Amino acid sequence: MQRDAFSQCHPLTNFLYFLGVIGFSVVIQHPAYLSAGAVGAAVYSLLLYGRPGWGRILGLVPLFVVLSGLNPLFNHYGQGVLFTVFGKPYTWEALAYGMTIAGMFVVMLLWFGCYSRVLTSDKFICLFGRLIPALSLLLVMILRLIPSLTRKARQIAGARMCIGKGVAEGASWKEKISAGMHVLSALTDWALEGSIVTADSMRARGYGGIRRTSFQIYRLTGRDIGLIAWMAVLAAGVIGAGGTGAAFTPVLRIDRPTWGLAAYCLFLLIPPAMQLKEAVQWRISISRI
Amino acid sequence: MRKSTLASLAVILVLIPLTLFLGTRLHGRWYYLTSTLMIVETMVPFFLAFETRKPQARELVTLAVLCALAVVSRVAVLIPNFKPMTAILIITGIALGAESGFVCGAVGAFASNFFFSQGPWTPWQMMAYGLAGFLAGALFHRRFPVRNPVALAVFGFGLIVVVIGPLLDCCTLFTVSTRLSWKYAATVFGAGLPYNLQHGLACGVTLLLFSRPLLEKLDRLKTKYGMMDARREE
Repeated sequence: MQRDAFSQCHPLTNFLYFLGVIGFSVVIQHPAYLSAGAVGAAVYSLLLYGRPGWGRILGLVPLFVVLSGLNPLFNHYGQGVLFTVFGKPYTWEALAYGMTIAGMFVVMLLWFGCYSRVLTSDKFICLFGRLIPALSLLLVMILRLIPSLTRKARQIAGARMCIGKGVAEGASWKEKISAGMHVLSALTDWALEGSIVTADSMRARGYGGIRRTSFQIYRLTGRDIGLIAWMAVLAAGVIGAGGTGAAFTPVLRIDRPTWGLAAYCLFLLIPPAMQLKEAVQWRISISRI
Repeated sequence: MRKSTLASLAVILVLIPLTLFLGTRLHGRWYYLTSTLMIVETMVPFFLAFETRKPQARELVTLAVLCALAVVSRVAVLIPNFKPMTAILIITGIALGAESGFVCGAVGAFASNFFFSQGPWTPWQMMAYGLAGFLAGALFHRRFPVRNPVALAVFGFGLIVVVIGPLLDCCTLFTVSTRLSWKYAATVFGAGLPYNLQHGLACGVTLLLFSRPLLEKLDRLKTKYGMMDARREE
């Protein structure tokens, strides 16, 4: 994974940023805002994922085309009839609407892809550990157990293969399912017996006795507070400036973009701008040596 | 009155109608936001109940193990798209009760998305899988203690095809449609049906083969170590 400047910030900053961009992209269906969001999300995905990011972005294009083309088949409002399908009009207003909704969906997927990379499970727990202690402890234990149980399942399957009970290449479904159930059964026994040791150890160390403290690796610095304030100003600008309205069917009516669009673009560009700033600083400090 | 009961009453009587009202009144297209907010609001009382109960170590660990087992189960069976996850959540609900079943399903869906990808579908998956555990627990935990694998398999298959699958399809519908119409809904549900049938079949087969062994294992733990009476321990 490439080093990303925004990912180094406090989880709260990351969380509020994604709350903002995903929230805005769900609510605003103005084409200009949507295009800005698409560019912003695509740039950030490329920053986070590097070269494989192109595959992610291009993979969403067919989805976009299919979803946009599908909508006018069910929404017949609008004046500009392009052609008729099954005796029903296929209007370009409905097509534009379909493209907008498909675009919103695709942008949302891109943002969530970035979210998964930036707001990792440890950051999520850092944010919500105090608010929901029991649930986040449960989440931590599950997140630890998933890789551990996966490894154990492979070991069990390997051991079964050694005694000639493995699943051959061309095995029938029945054989595969029955072998899977045997592995699952052995895995369950192992995991449940292990859980008793864990629970006893937890109790011995005083779980549930007093209020638990939690280990925090992240600190809210001045930079984070500045960023949060900046995001709040920009978000207020987007909401306050208006001009985000757009209606498609039955009549196409799109507001003129105002300076709110500029605020929105600035909001979207926070992570790439931070990355750029770090790169420039790095260059300068190298050239000084 | 308990704090969690109060919270659920507040959610059901105030928050959800308010969301619906705002969602229908506001100008524009708010299907996804309104429906997802309602889903999240419905889950809050369950989580609050779990938090305020202050679960003991044994209960917490048992839940975590069953939950992780549900997520991992797809690795065990080498057939693509054969997902026994719901089946294990149903068994958890039956063994530990409706509340634990819900928490197990919802947190399990959330945790597994850390390994795949979080997305607009995350709250919906949490609700759907939580509901699977909840309904199984509400019906079979104490009320009708049915342990017959065939009956459970039929229940699991029906639950997925009728409730869980369509609930997940609703997420697609609210996210991608420009106008809500029965025809569009029928198309989305129709497209989802083969997938739901496959999912339901996997769940049914797993319940048929695995429900008795797993329930026996859990019973054995109960007699051997006094697990699952977690609420009475200490």
